[in-house]
Amino acid sequence: MADTIPLAEAHSLVARARAGDSGALEHLYRAYEGSVYTLARRLTRTPEDAEDVLQETFLEICRSLSRWRGEGSLWGWVRQIAASKALMRYRREKLRATEVLDDDLAERAGDDVPLRLDLEAALRRLPERTRTVVWLHDVEGMTHEEIAEQMGMTTSFSKSQLARAHQKLRGWLGEEGADR
Amino acid sequence: MNGTRHGTTEELLALRDGEGGAWAKAHVGSCAVCAAELYRLEQVRARLRALPTFSPPRDRWAVVAERARVERRSGWWSRGVGLVAAASLAGLLLVAVQGTRPDPLQAQVRLRSAMARSEAMEQALRGLDPDGRALDGTAAGVVADLQGRLEALDAKLGDPAEWRAAPHRQAEMWNERAGLLSALVDVHTTRVAYVGL
Repeated sequence: MADTIPLAEAHSLVARARAGDSGALEHLYRAYEGSVYTLARRLTRTPEDAEDVLQETFLEICRSLSRWRGEGSLWGWVRQIAASKALMRYRREKLRATEVLDDDLAERAGDDVPLRLDLEAALRRLPERTRTVVWLHDVEGMTHEEIAEQMGMTTSFSKSQLARAHQKLRGWLGEEGADR
Repeated sequence: MNGTRHGTTEELLALRDGEGGAWAKAHVGSCAVCAAELYRLEQVRARLRALPTFSPPRDRWAVVAERARVERRSGWWSRGVGLVAAASLAGLLLVAVQGTRPDPLQAQVRLRSAMARSEAMEQALRGLDPDGRALDGTAAGVVADLQGRLEALDAKLGDPAEWRAAPHRQAEMWNERAGLLSALVDVHTTRVAYVGL
Protein backbone atom coordinates (compact mmCIF):
# COMPACT_ATOMS: atom_id res chain seq x y z
CA MET A 1 0.00 0.00 0.00
CA ALA A 2 1.52 3.31 -1.05
CA ASP A 3 2.12 6.09 1.45
CA THR A 4 -0.44 8.85 0.98
CA ILE A 5 1.76 11.48 2.62
CA PRO A 6 5.02 12.54 0.92
CA LEU A 7 8.06 12.24 3.18
CA ALA A 8 8.72 15.99 3.39
CA GLU A 9 5.13 16.65 4.41
CA ALA A 10 5.31 13.77 6.88
CA HIS A 11 8.32 15.36 8.60
CA SER A 12 6.49 18.64 8.96
CA LEU A 13 3.26 17.03 10.16
CA VAL A 14 5.00 14.88 12.75
CA ALA A 15 7.00 17.85 14.06
CA ARG A 16 3.78 19.83 14.50
CA ALA A 17 1.98 16.88 16.05
CA ARG A 18 4.86 16.34 18.50
CA ALA A 19 4.49 19.95 19.57
CA GLY A 20 0.85 19.38 20.40
CA ASP A 21 -0.77 20.68 17.22
CA SER A 22 -4.03 18.76 17.27
CA GLY A 23 -4.76 19.77 13.67
CA ALA A 24 -1.62 17.94 12.53
CA LEU A 25 -2.60 14.89 14.54
CA GLU A 26 -6.04 14.84 12.99
CA HIS A 27 -4.48 15.20 9.54
CA LEU A 28 -2.39 12.07 10.25
CA TYR A 29 -5.48 10.26 11.47
CA ARG A 30 -7.53 11.16 8.40
CA ALA A 31 -4.69 10.22 6.05
CA TYR A 32 -4.24 6.75 7.49
CA GLU A 33 -7.52 5.71 9.15
CA GLY A 34 -8.73 3.81 6.07
CA SER A 35 -5.44 1.99 5.52
CA VAL A 36 -5.11 1.09 9.20
CA TYR A 37 -8.70 -0.08 9.41
CA THR A 38 -8.37 -2.18 6.25
CA LEU A 39 -5.18 -3.77 7.59
CA ALA A 40 -6.91 -4.41 10.91
CA ARG A 41 -9.94 -5.95 9.19
CA ARG A 42 -7.65 -8.32 7.31
CA LEU A 43 -5.70 -9.31 10.41
CA THR A 44 -8.49 -9.59 12.99
CA ARG A 45 -11.68 -11.57 13.20
CA THR A 46 -14.42 -9.00 13.56
CA PRO A 47 -15.14 -5.40 12.53
CA GLU A 48 -15.29 -4.52 16.24
CA ASP A 49 -11.79 -5.89 16.78
CA ALA A 50 -10.61 -3.87 13.80
CA GLU A 51 -12.12 -0.71 15.24
CA ASP A 52 -10.32 -1.31 18.52
CA VAL A 53 -7.05 -1.85 16.66
CA LEU A 54 -7.63 1.41 14.78
CA GLN A 55 -8.12 3.30 18.03
CA GLU A 56 -5.21 1.63 19.84
CA THR A 57 -2.94 2.27 16.87
CA PHE A 58 -3.55 5.99 16.81
CA LEU A 59 -3.25 6.33 20.56
CA GLU A 60 0.11 4.59 20.31
CA ILE A 61 1.08 6.94 17.49
CA CYS A 62 0.21 9.93 19.72
CA ARG A 63 2.41 8.49 22.48
CA SER A 64 5.29 7.50 20.22
CA LEU A 65 5.63 10.29 17.68
CA SER A 66 9.09 11.10 18.97
CA ARG A 67 10.22 7.59 18.05
CA TRP A 68 9.63 8.04 14.31
CA ARG A 69 13.10 8.87 12.99
CA GLY A 70 11.95 9.95 9.59
CA GLU A 71 14.22 7.49 7.83
CA GLY A 72 11.53 5.36 6.23
CA SER A 73 8.01 6.10 5.06
CA LEU A 74 5.57 7.24 7.69
CA TRP A 75 3.07 4.64 6.52
CA GLY A 76 5.68 1.92 7.09
CA TRP A 77 5.96 3.03 10.71
CA VAL A 78 2.20 3.38 11.18
CA ARG A 79 1.67 -0.04 9.58
CA GLN A 80 4.18 -1.61 11.94
CA ILE A 81 2.28 -0.23 14.93
CA ALA A 82 -1.08 -1.34 13.51
CA ALA A 83 0.16 -4.86 12.78
CA SER A 84 1.67 -5.04 16.24
CA LYS A 85 -1.64 -4.01 17.84
CA ALA A 86 -3.54 -6.59 15.79
CA LEU A 87 -1.05 -9.30 16.71
CA MET A 88 -1.20 -8.32 20.39
CA ARG A 89 -4.95 -8.79 20.26
CA TYR A 90 -4.46 -12.13 18.61
CA ARG A 91 -2.03 -13.24 21.32
CA ARG A 92 -4.16 -11.82 24.12
CA GLU A 93 -7.19 -13.76 23.06
CA LYS A 94 -5.17 -16.95 23.07
CA LEU A 95 -6.43 -18.04 19.73
CA ARG A 96 -3.89 -20.77 19.31
CA ALA A 97 -6.26 -23.47 20.46
CA THR A 98 -9.03 -22.10 18.28
CA GLU A 99 -6.65 -21.83 15.39
CA VAL A 100 -5.89 -25.53 15.51
CA LEU A 101 -9.63 -26.01 15.11
CA ASP A 102 -9.63 -23.56 12.20
CA ASP A 103 -6.81 -25.47 10.58
CA ASP A 104 -8.69 -28.73 10.94
CA LEU A 105 -11.81 -27.20 9.48
CA ALA A 106 -9.86 -25.72 6.62
CA GLU A 107 -8.19 -29.02 5.85
CA ARG A 108 -11.61 -30.70 5.68
CA ALA A 109 -12.67 -28.53 2.77
CA GLY A 110 -15.19 -31.06 1.63
CA ASP A 111 -18.83 -31.40 2.66
CA ASP A 112 -19.28 -28.03 4.34
CA VAL A 113 -17.31 -25.92 1.85
CA PRO A 114 -18.47 -24.92 -1.60
CA LEU A 115 -16.48 -26.43 -4.42
CA ARG A 116 -15.12 -23.01 -5.31
CA LEU A 117 -14.75 -19.93 -3.10
CA ASP A 118 -14.08 -16.39 -4.20
CA LEU A 119 -10.81 -14.87 -3.09
CA GLU A 120 -12.39 -12.82 -0.30
CA ALA A 121 -14.04 -15.89 1.24
CA ALA A 122 -10.93 -18.01 0.75
CA LEU A 123 -8.76 -15.42 2.47
CA ARG A 124 -11.18 -15.26 5.40
CA ARG A 125 -11.03 -19.02 5.70
CA LEU A 126 -7.27 -19.05 6.26
CA PRO A 127 -6.18 -19.41 9.89
CA GLU A 128 -5.53 -15.98 11.39
CA ARG A 129 -1.77 -16.36 11.69
CA THR A 130 -1.44 -17.64 8.13
CA ARG A 131 -3.71 -14.90 6.79
CA THR A 132 -1.56 -12.33 8.60
CA VAL A 133 1.57 -13.58 6.82
CA VAL A 134 -0.18 -13.54 3.43
CA TRP A 135 -1.52 -10.04 3.90
CA LEU A 136 1.65 -8.51 5.31
CA HIS A 137 3.82 -10.08 2.61
CA ASP A 138 1.72 -10.13 -0.55
CA VAL A 139 -0.31 -6.97 -0.04
CA GLU A 140 1.69 -4.76 2.31
CA GLY A 141 5.01 -5.82 0.80
CA MET A 142 6.74 -6.61 4.08
CA THR A 143 9.75 -8.94 3.86
CA HIS A 144 9.81 -12.31 5.57
CA GLU A 145 12.45 -10.91 7.92
CA GLU A 146 10.16 -8.03 8.93
CA ILE A 147 7.19 -10.36 9.39
CA ALA A 148 9.26 -12.80 11.44
CA GLU A 149 10.42 -9.99 13.71
CA GLN A 150 6.92 -8.65 14.09
CA MET A 151 5.41 -12.05 14.86
CA GLY A 152 8.28 -13.34 16.97
CA MET A 153 8.95 -16.23 14.64
CA THR A 154 11.63 -17.33 12.17
CA THR A 155 11.85 -16.27 8.52
CA SER A 156 11.58 -19.89 7.43
CA PHE A 157 8.32 -20.12 9.37
CA SER A 158 7.00 -17.06 7.57
CA LYS A 159 8.01 -18.52 4.20
CA SER A 160 6.43 -21.89 4.92
CA GLN A 161 3.21 -20.23 6.15
CA LEU A 162 3.01 -18.24 2.92
CA ALA A 163 3.55 -21.34 0.79
CA ARG A 164 0.99 -23.29 2.77
CA ALA A 165 -1.52 -20.48 2.40
CA HIS A 166 -1.09 -20.36 -1.37
CA GLN A 167 -1.54 -24.11 -1.62
CA LYS A 168 -4.80 -23.83 0.30
CA LEU A 169 -5.97 -20.84 -1.73
CA ARG A 170 -5.27 -22.71 -4.94
CA GLY A 171 -7.54 -25.53 -3.84
CA TRP A 172 -10.32 -23.29 -2.52
CA LEU A 173 -10.26 -21.09 -5.60
CA GLY A 174 -10.77 -24.12 -7.81
CA GLU A 175 -7.42 -23.60 -9.48
CA GLU A 176 -5.86 -26.95 -8.61
CA GLY A 177 -3.55 -27.92 -11.48
CA ALA A 178 -4.14 -31.49 -12.62
CA ASP A 179 -0.50 -32.33 -13.04
CA ARG A 180 1.03 -30.66 -10.00
CA MET B 1 11.51 -30.12 -18.46
CA ASN B 2 14.77 -29.08 -16.78
CA GLY B 3 15.46 -31.38 -13.82
CA THR B 4 13.56 -34.30 -12.41
CA ARG B 5 10.96 -32.47 -10.32
CA HIS B 6 8.72 -29.40 -10.31
CA GLY B 7 9.52 -26.39 -8.19
CA THR B 8 7.90 -26.29 -4.75
CA THR B 9 5.42 -23.54 -3.91
CA GLU B 10 8.04 -21.99 -1.63
CA GLU B 11 10.63 -21.97 -4.43
CA LEU B 12 8.17 -20.46 -6.90
CA LEU B 13 7.07 -17.82 -4.39
CA ALA B 14 10.71 -16.87 -3.86
CA LEU B 15 11.08 -16.59 -7.62
CA ARG B 16 7.95 -14.44 -7.80
CA ASP B 17 9.44 -12.17 -5.13
CA GLY B 18 12.71 -11.84 -7.06
CA GLU B 19 14.66 -14.07 -4.73
CA GLY B 20 14.62 -17.41 -6.47
CA GLY B 21 17.66 -19.63 -6.76
CA ALA B 22 19.48 -20.47 -9.99
CA TRP B 23 17.89 -23.89 -10.27
CA ALA B 24 14.33 -22.53 -9.98
CA LYS B 25 15.00 -19.81 -12.53
CA ALA B 26 16.41 -22.25 -15.04
CA HIS B 27 13.66 -24.76 -14.37
CA VAL B 28 10.77 -22.34 -14.86
CA GLY B 29 12.30 -21.28 -18.16
CA SER B 30 11.86 -24.75 -19.53
CA CYS B 31 8.88 -26.18 -17.58
CA ALA B 32 5.44 -25.04 -18.74
CA VAL B 33 3.73 -26.38 -15.61
CA CYS B 34 5.92 -24.39 -13.20
CA ALA B 35 5.80 -21.32 -15.44
CA ALA B 36 2.00 -21.48 -15.32
CA GLU B 37 2.07 -21.92 -11.54
CA LEU B 38 4.40 -18.94 -11.18
CA TYR B 39 2.01 -16.86 -13.28
CA ARG B 40 -0.92 -18.04 -11.13
CA LEU B 41 0.92 -17.00 -7.95
CA GLU B 42 1.56 -13.56 -9.45
CA GLN B 43 -2.12 -13.29 -10.35
CA VAL B 44 -3.26 -14.24 -6.85
CA ARG B 45 -1.02 -11.54 -5.39
CA ALA B 46 -2.43 -8.99 -7.85
CA ARG B 47 -5.97 -10.01 -6.97
CA LEU B 48 -5.23 -9.79 -3.24
CA ARG B 49 -3.93 -6.26 -3.73
CA ALA B 50 -7.06 -5.38 -5.66
CA LEU B 51 -9.44 -6.49 -2.90
CA PRO B 52 -11.65 -3.65 -1.70
CA THR B 53 -10.56 -1.46 1.16
CA PHE B 54 -12.71 -0.92 4.24
CA SER B 55 -13.87 2.27 5.88
CA PRO B 56 -14.36 2.47 9.63
CA PRO B 57 -18.09 2.36 10.42
CA ARG B 58 -17.74 5.15 12.97
CA ASP B 59 -15.50 8.17 13.24
CA ARG B 60 -13.13 7.38 16.10
CA TRP B 61 -11.10 10.58 15.91
CA ALA B 62 -12.96 12.32 18.74
CA VAL B 63 -12.35 9.35 21.05
CA VAL B 64 -8.67 9.11 20.09
CA ALA B 65 -8.15 12.87 20.48
CA GLU B 66 -9.84 12.95 23.87
CA ARG B 67 -7.89 9.99 25.22
CA ALA B 68 -4.61 11.39 23.91
CA ARG B 69 -5.44 14.71 25.54
CA VAL B 70 -6.13 13.04 28.89
CA GLU B 71 -2.88 11.09 28.67
CA ARG B 72 -0.92 14.25 27.82
CA ARG B 73 -2.54 16.09 30.68
CA SER B 74 -1.79 13.36 33.20
CA GLY B 75 1.83 13.49 32.05
CA TRP B 76 1.89 17.24 32.56
CA TRP B 77 0.34 17.03 36.03
CA SER B 78 2.74 14.25 37.00
CA ARG B 79 5.62 16.52 36.11
CA GLY B 80 4.00 19.29 38.13
CA VAL B 81 3.68 17.09 41.21
CA GLY B 82 7.29 16.01 40.71
CA LEU B 83 8.39 19.63 40.75
CA VAL B 84 6.60 20.36 43.99
CA ALA B 85 8.53 17.47 45.48
CA ALA B 86 11.73 18.73 43.87
CA ALA B 87 11.11 22.17 45.34
CA SER B 88 10.68 20.72 48.82
CA LEU B 89 13.83 18.66 48.39
CA ALA B 90 15.68 21.73 47.16
CA GLY B 91 14.67 23.62 50.30
CA LEU B 92 15.86 20.78 52.52
CA LEU B 93 19.13 20.44 50.68
CA LEU B 94 19.72 24.18 50.90
CA VAL B 95 19.42 23.94 54.66
CA ALA B 96 21.99 21.15 54.55
CA VAL B 97 24.55 23.09 52.53
CA GLN B 98 23.95 26.68 53.58
CA GLY B 99 26.41 26.44 56.43
CA THR B 100 29.21 26.55 53.88
CA ARG B 101 27.93 29.72 52.22
CA PRO B 102 29.29 33.14 53.15
CA ASP B 103 25.77 34.69 53.22
CA PRO B 104 23.29 31.88 53.80
CA LEU B 105 20.35 34.05 54.73
CA GLN B 106 20.56 36.12 51.54
CA ALA B 107 20.94 32.97 49.41
CA GLN B 108 17.93 31.42 51.06
CA VAL B 109 15.81 34.52 50.47
CA ARG B 110 16.78 34.56 46.80
CA LEU B 111 15.99 30.91 46.41
CA ARG B 112 12.62 31.17 48.17
CA SER B 113 11.71 34.14 46.03
CA ALA B 114 12.63 32.36 42.79
CA MET B 115 10.66 29.28 43.82
CA ALA B 116 7.64 31.40 44.72
CA ARG B 117 7.76 33.08 41.30
CA SER B 118 7.98 29.73 39.62
CA GLU B 119 5.03 28.40 41.61
CA ALA B 120 2.93 31.47 40.81
CA MET B 121 3.65 31.10 37.09
CA GLU B 122 2.83 27.43 37.23
CA GLN B 123 -0.54 28.18 38.83
CA ALA B 124 -1.25 30.82 36.20
CA LEU B 125 -0.42 28.36 33.43
CA ARG B 126 -2.57 25.66 35.01
CA GLY B 127 -5.46 28.13 35.08
CA LEU B 128 -5.19 28.45 31.29
CA ASP B 129 -5.66 24.67 30.86
CA PRO B 130 -2.78 24.40 28.33
CA ASP B 131 -3.35 20.72 27.57
CA GLY B 132 -7.00 21.22 26.85
CA ARG B 133 -6.48 23.62 23.98
CA ALA B 134 -5.55 23.12 20.37
CA LEU B 135 -2.70 25.29 19.08
CA ASP B 136 -1.86 26.38 15.58
CA GLY B 137 1.44 25.23 14.11
CA THR B 138 3.53 28.27 15.03
CA ALA B 139 2.29 28.48 18.61
CA ALA B 140 2.72 24.72 19.01
CA GLY B 141 6.33 25.02 17.87
CA VAL B 142 7.05 27.75 20.43
CA VAL B 143 5.32 25.80 23.19
CA ALA B 144 7.28 22.65 22.30
CA ASP B 145 10.56 24.56 22.48
CA LEU B 146 9.69 26.13 25.85
CA GLN B 147 8.52 22.82 27.28
CA GLY B 148 11.68 21.11 26.06
CA ARG B 149 13.82 23.71 27.83
CA LEU B 150 11.63 23.42 30.91
CA GLU B 151 12.07 19.66 31.02
CA ALA B 152 15.85 19.97 30.65
CA LEU B 153 15.93 22.53 33.46
CA ASP B 154 13.73 20.37 35.68
CA ALA B 155 16.12 17.47 35.17
CA LYS B 156 18.98 19.65 36.42
CA LEU B 157 16.97 20.95 39.38
CA GLY B 158 16.14 17.39 40.33
CA ASP B 159 19.82 16.47 40.39
CA PRO B 160 21.67 18.08 43.36
CA ALA B 161 24.97 17.29 41.65
CA GLU B 162 24.11 20.08 39.22
CA TRP B 163 24.04 22.82 41.84
CA ARG B 164 25.29 21.52 45.20
CA ALA B 165 28.76 22.98 44.66
CA ALA B 166 27.26 26.39 43.78
CA PRO B 167 23.95 26.90 45.61
CA HIS B 168 23.47 30.37 44.07
CA ARG B 169 23.14 28.49 40.76
CA GLN B 170 20.07 26.80 42.18
CA ALA B 171 18.29 30.13 42.64
CA GLU B 172 19.32 31.12 39.11
CA MET B 173 17.78 27.96 37.74
CA TRP B 174 14.52 28.55 39.60
CA ASN B 175 14.43 32.09 38.23
CA GLU B 176 15.05 30.71 34.77
CA ARG B 177 12.22 28.24 35.33
CA ALA B 178 9.86 31.02 36.34
CA GLY B 179 10.84 32.86 33.15
CA LEU B 180 10.09 29.87 30.94
CA LEU B 181 6.73 29.36 32.62
CA SER B 182 5.99 33.05 32.21
CA ALA B 183 6.73 32.73 28.47
CA LEU B 184 4.37 29.75 28.27
CA VAL B 185 1.67 31.78 30.01
CA ASP B 186 2.23 34.56 27.45
CA VAL B 187 1.87 32.18 24.52
CA HIS B 188 -1.34 30.67 25.86
CA THR B 189 -2.75 34.03 26.93
CA THR B 190 -2.08 35.50 23.48
CA ARG B 191 -3.69 32.54 21.85
CA VAL B 192 -6.73 32.74 24.12
CA ALA B 193 -7.12 36.46 23.32
CA TYR B 194 -6.64 35.81 19.61
CA VAL B 195 -9.35 33.18 19.28
CA GLY B 196 -11.59 35.06 21.68
CA LEU B 197 -12.04 32.21 24.14
